Amino acid sequence: MTNSVNKAPDTGQTLPDLDTSPIELLEKIKREGRAWDELSEQYGVDNPDPPWRLSLESTCDALNGGYWNISALCETKEDDRKPEDEDRKLDALERRQEEDELVNQHYADIPFPERQLLSLAHSMIRHGLIDEDDLAKHMKVVEKRLNMV
Amino acid sequence: MAEKHKPAPMVDEVSDFEILEVAVRELAIEKGLFSADDHRRWTEYMNTLGPAPAAHLVAKAWLDPEFKKLAVEDGVKASLEVGIDWINSMPTNFGTPSDYCNLRVLEDTPKLKHVVVCTLCSCYPRPILGQSPEWYRTPNYRRRLVRWPRQVLAEFGLQLPADVEIRVEDSNQKSRFVVLPVRPEGTEGWSEDQLAEIATRDCLIGVALPKPGVTANAKLPVHPAVNPVDHDH
Repeated sequence: MTNSVNKAPDTGQTLPDLDTSPIELLEKIKREGRAWDELSEQYGVDNPDPPWRLSLESTCDALNGGYWNISALCETKEDDRKPEDEDRKLDALERRQEEDELVNQHYADIPFPERQLLSLAHSMIRHGLIDEDDLAKHMKVVEKRLNMV
Repeated sequence: MAEKHKPAPMVDEVSDFEILEVAVRELAIEKGLFSADDHRRWTEYMNTLGPAPAAHLVAKAWLDPEFKKLAVEDGVKASLEVGIDWINSMPTNFGTPSDYCNLRVLEDTPKLKHVVVCTLCSCYPRPILGQSPEWYRTPNYRRRLVRWPRQVLAEFGLQLPADVEIRVEDSNQKSRFVVLPVRPEGTEGWSEDQLAEIATRDCLIGVALPKPGVTANAKLPVHPAVNPVDHDH
């Protein structure tokens, strides 16, 4: 008996030239960060996903909609795009393809969804959506805030 | 006398990854890439999603031939019966996000097995099936399933006879898919809730068959793609 594949149409889309070189800040997190798998085992928590997973998914979706506003994601995008807004988005397909590549190159040993997060941050920095130094500084602010108990 | 309440265990430290997630999100908001309100509403919506509606859609179809006909002919309309409105859903109120407003229900037969993939990225019918499992996102699954479906299904523990045709459906910008498996023997007289319990996520993707007594998905190791290829198509 034969097998068959109903293949999606070719979008004709290709990956832009992404600088996939390592980013020091993310390399440090990769080396020193404790993934949910490890933490949940240590603390006896049975939730398979870290509490921030859906927030991360939302960030990915929001970046795809970005300037159109999430409530307009079903609208035709191409016609609404303004050139000045192109620098403010991260298309879902582009992000996923970059995630494949970045995981393969840098984050294959990191569990999911931590590697999705590292890949997203990597893509955003390389696309100029956020700055590595700004991110490092803001992480310190967030760390201080989250540890104020 | 009140019973002593033992608190559930919790992770009592903040990881670098948690800090990174918050920092990336807050910087994006600060730079106006999206608003905090959009993000909050979206996260609330995501929290409502899971595999239960799709499981009930399958269970209803097993019980009611007319509903099965509707599900196969018009998955979006049939979804209304399990509380999922693809056209007027929250949080947009005028359509599910992205562009996956077309759900197709793939009916298996004893000689035809469907299985779903997204070769391009990881498109998935989230409104009716929740978040995709990790393995569904991996290039390893996405690339190998279309080339060697029988072997990949065998790795999931699904050994199909040679006379069963395997049809791989590739998700795309316009369509999302769920599999309607053959109702298993030994479920005669079962209620919709009982049937929905065995219509697991893996059954609805097509990498497992429903079986009485099996109500959880198999935990599988995730493998990297051994021979990564360029994304040029």
